[in-house]
Amino acid sequence: METVQRILDKFSTPDNVVSHEFKCGKKSGVLIVHPDLSDAATVRAVIFALEHCAAKLSQLEDFSRYALLEYDVKISSDVDDCVNKLLNGDLLLCVEGESRYAVINARSYSTRGVTEPPTETVMRGPREGFIEDLKTNLSLLERRLKTPDLAIERMEIGRRSKTAVALCYLSSVADERVIKNVKRRLSKIDIDGIVDSHYLVPYIEERPLSLFNQTGLSEKPDIVAAKLLEGRVAIFVDGSPMVVTLPFVMVEEFQSGEDYYQRSTYGTFVRLLRYMGLILALLLPGLYVALQNFHYTLIPVRFMITLMTAIKGLPLSPLAETVFVLLLFEIIREASVRMPRAVGMAMSIVGALVLGETAVNAGIISSPAVMVTALSSIALFTVPSLLGAMSVLRILYTLIGGLCGLFGLILAALFTLHYICALNAYDAPYLAPFTPLVYGDFKDAIERSTIPVMKKRPKSIPNTNPTRQA
Amino acid sequence: MKSVTQQVNNTATGSETTKNAGVTNTRETKQTTGKQLVAIIFILSLATKMFMLPVFLIQETGRDGYIVLALYGAFDLLTLVPIIIAVRMADVDMFELLSSVLGRVGAKITVGVFWLFLFFKLNMSVSEILTFYNTNILTEFDTSMMLIVLLVFLAAVGTHTLRALSRLNEILAPVIVVCLAVLVAIVLMTRFDFANILPAVADGKRFSSALVKHPAWVGDFAPLLLFVGRTKTKKRTWCFAAGSGVIGTSVAVFFAIAMSAAFGNVPELVDATTNISNILQFSVGNVYGRIDMFSSVLWSVSVFIEAGLFFYATARCASFVIGKSAHFIISIGNCVMVYIVQIFAFTDPMYFSVTVTSYVCAIGTAAVAVIMPCLVIVCAAVYKRQKRLSKVGEN
Repeated sequence: METVQRILDKFSTPDNVVSHEFKCGKKSGVLIVHPDLSDAATVRAVIFALEHCAAKLSQLEDFSRYALLEYDVKISSDVDDCVNKLLNGDLLLCVEGESRYAVINARSYSTRGVTEPPTETVMRGPREGFIEDLKTNLSLLERRLKTPDLAIERMEIGRRSKTAVALCYLSSVADERVIKNVKRRLSKIDIDGIVDSHYLVPYIEERPLSLFNQTGLSEKPDIVAAKLLEGRVAIFVDGSPMVVTLPFVMVEEFQSGEDYYQRSTYGTFVRLLRYMGLILALLLPGLYVALQNFHYTLIPVRFMITLMTAIKGLPLSPLAETVFVLLLFEIIREASVRMPRAVGMAMSIVGALVLGETAVNAGIISSPAVMVTALSSIALFTVPSLLGAMSVLRILYTLIGGLCGLFGLILAALFTLHYICALNAYDAPYLAPFTPLVYGDFKDAIERSTIPVMKKRPKSIPNTNPTRQA
Repeated sequence: MKSVTQQVNNTATGSETTKNAGVTNTRETKQTTGKQLVAIIFILSLATKMFMLPVFLIQETGRDGYIVLALYGAFDLLTLVPIIIAVRMADVDMFELLSSVLGRVGAKITVGVFWLFLFFKLNMSVSEILTFYNTNILTEFDTSMMLIVLLVFLAAVGTHTLRALSRLNEILAPVIVVCLAVLVAIVLMTRFDFANILPAVADGKRFSSALVKHPAWVGDFAPLLLFVGRTKTKKRTWCFAAGSGVIGTSVAVFFAIAMSAAFGNVPELVDATTNISNILQFSVGNVYGRIDMFSSVLWSVSVFIEAGLFFYATARCASFVIGKSAHFIISIGNCVMVYIVQIFAFTDPMYFSVTVTSYVCAIGTAAVAVIMPCLVIVCAAVYKRQKRLSKVGEN
């Protein structure tokens, strides 16, 4: 049959698809199936229904009207579109004397169940996490936002992968200019394939080369729903459990979903700890080296004596030993992440305890340097989403502190701060509400106010409907 | 028909409809905000006035140094008034104002003179920073290396926007205020004998000589002319702007009084590097691990910002005169020029002192600090009139 051949010709290995011949009354036809992607039971049921249909069928429309009444059937004459549908798990029905195809929905993939995401575990609050199936992910969101305002715009990205992407927002809340801008950027993507939502990130960020995240990533439907309620836009990608949210401001790095499920006072305290942790993680090694190398007069006398005893006879300079310990920590961390879980735990114990202890006893590094690095590294994990950026900056700051002292360290901090100040993503100032100062948004920045107090949506995020509650 | 969510929200707040909601957002139509302007005025009013100026003044006048500094502060506050008026009056930026009123060539000549003033002030700030760190904090570090590190930061400021610099200011202003508060507390707790500043103006000749020699330190607010037409302001911004200028100047005068009280009787002990951090060193000593020095170092960030603002203004003026907007290249060129001036001219503190206290520099700086804001006001008024007339003509 010519229609079947046209489809099979599109495949470099036609064996990938299976053609089932059938007879329906006097008409004969072929059902083309992709066995890996389609539901076998549906295929069997469709063939059974066709072969046992009593009605007299002449046109393709009659097949859907009489024989396949309970199935989702669409008629198409576009071969490329039909091939695309076939690759998505649909069945193609070809009937002799017809140049068109009937596309029958029989999609079936094996997906994992909805479980708690490993990157955002919580003690309190919902434990559902997104999975790799777009349909399931959208249903998880729609269950939380039962409003006709929830707009879901679907598109396909990737010339070969034809990945389904969904852009979600609340039409009466999200800023139209932001939506337009995101859509414009997405429509400009011309790539052979995307396999995860992270592939989209560099296309939708204003500065893709930056060290800092300019898009939010979440695996939890409750967080994404809350962000949409604040006027953001979410991008779902089929095959990825990570959902991208826009616009993004730096304060979001310090917010956790769990903050809203516990007492507001404790939430505020935890947030303060995160800010302090980040400053400590970033500046402590650099400050330690700068003080030792250049500004020992700034160290209190008693502490100075302890320090002098600890570093006496070391072969490495303070800068070299601190950079050495920092790099050692990064190597151990990277190795334990990549290793199988069972080995990873043992590896981190060996790395942290045995290596550190032995190096100190051997007189290669000093215990204050190990302590400073350990303290800084633990503090780094208070804001896990900034781990990458802060790890790089911390080493740079240590080098600058060791080479140029407090002068260099302050200038490096100013340089970084000035760079962050220059960031603006989708009309949202990256450092808002700290600068530009937006008093109203402080309720959810350092402080975590109670929900009844947060009557307005954040002004830092462009939106068209500022009020959330009466 | 409106959706349910929209109806609920609009009912809740009557006046807030989706139409005017955009106004409440932080979407910035202009480069800076009123709050940022207030923060930068505070920083400019005290930054370089607390570095080396008190030292020079005490050397020259003895215990009356603080009076001279207060007079300079008052002079600067007077120059702030026309700047604030200009920021309030104009809808377009300084370059456009000058071009439309003076013509392209006239504007370029005016901006060229302004550039010279800014470049001189930039070099003064850079020189003060290098001296402070070289003699107090980083005695074992090479000055030229230090300069390169500083220039990297300045080049970044010159390349980015005024918005980025204003935001940096806004976020650092609280840190600077806290550090100054710590330093003030230390000064007050360590029993300075403020009676040492009396009797005032005992030697009128030395006093007037110092007053005439040091006007190179005035005109710190001049780069704010770059904010004209680019600042989103509210009604009360002007009061806050003036208030922050007065408070900043008062803080600088307070520290000058402390220095005059400490060294007024023995001005020969003051050298080119003594400033507030050194006084505190004598008073607090080494027992507390020099917490005063930490505050001094953090406070000195304000001088980096002032230098940054002068650099930004210099780069933009150069850009206007040249007629190109290649900010990165212009910033690099600016850095090279600053490097040459610092290494070949200002390395010697003596030469620096002689240069900045010369009558040419003194008169030139004071003149530009007064004339430039006034000129911009006149241009803004003429521009407004031209606009009104053209509107009438159209009608």
